[in-house]
Amino acid sequence: MDHDDRGIIADLKQENKKNLAFHTLVNKYQERLYWHIRKIVMDHEDADDVLQNTFIKVWKSIDKFREESSLYTWLYRIATNESISFLNSNKRRSFMPLNNLSEYLVKNLESDPYFEGDEIQLKLQEAIVRLPEKQRIVFNMKYFDEMKYEDMSKILDTSVGALKASYFHATKKIEEYLKNTD
Amino acid sequence: MDNLRENTPGLSKIKKENPFRVPDNYFDDFPARLQMKIEAGKEVVPVPENRIIQLLKPAISLAASFALIFLLVYWPLKTFLPGHIAENSTIEVESYDNENQYLTLLESIDENSFYVLLNEPSATVEFSDDELMNYINANISEYEIYLGTD
Repeated sequence: MDHDDRGIIADLKQENKKNLAFHTLVNKYQERLYWHIRKIVMDHEDADDVLQNTFIKVWKSIDKFREESSLYTWLYRIATNESISFLNSNKRRSFMPLNNLSEYLVKNLESDPYFEGDEIQLKLQEAIVRLPEKQRIVFNMKYFDEMKYEDMSKILDTSVGALKASYFHATKKIEEYLKNTD
Repeated sequence: MDNLRENTPGLSKIKKENPFRVPDNYFDDFPARLQMKIEAGKEVVPVPENRIIQLLKPAISLAASFALIFLLVYWPLKTFLPGHIAENSTIEVESYDNENQYLTLLESIDENSFYVLLNEPSATVEFSDDELMNYINANISEYEIYLGTD
């Protein structure tokens, strides 16, 4: 584990240093976690809500952190789970059929004032949101964040082999989408 | 990477960049907003319920269960099977009343009333003249008979 992270965790478990240590943790990881969440939920406002919920969960459950995994993978796992829970609760609230989630995300993307990509970037994002949820998360983590499969395996609790297969299928589907919408 | 380029030429042509952005100063302001939300969460910690209510909860639940069973079972039975329950209740009341009435009657009866009862046309008890004479000889003096026939 990162030396700084060890210090942060040790301080988080001491009542008199907890606030300052948490502030350090937020400053260190907020951007990385935000972009990870944003690629899953697409919309900025939603990503902001999920990021806050993620850190609140970290604040409340820091005592349960066993230090078997790194702080970084633990935070990513919480952020991923919070993002998926957010999308699922949105689906339930709006009685959305399963296959309509991608349409909902495409609409979010097209109306997002904080999307500034060109036409080809929009097309790539449309292809990504049409992937099944797990493949979409794997693709973003590998393609954009260039994360190691071993780290992804710890975060998503999935074998390296299954992650490689997911990534392979995801790239094939995206390629097909790009070819068909040319 | 080369393998990716070969298999996905369309994807490889796209420049790998983040097309999203955030509002100005978003990451500068985020820690303060988060802190406010955490503080707000601490303030609305639910107040523990009154201890007495907590102790009485099982008893209240039990009483409520009995009341519910009464409403759901006894009351509908009484309403929808009035004949059965009324019959049982009436028999008890009647037998109780008859017994009381009989005792009261015995306590309050005197010889005068006895003759009145004998003279009543509704009296249906039948006895022979000998039985009547025997009873009068044993229980009533001649003077009393004289007073009674006055």
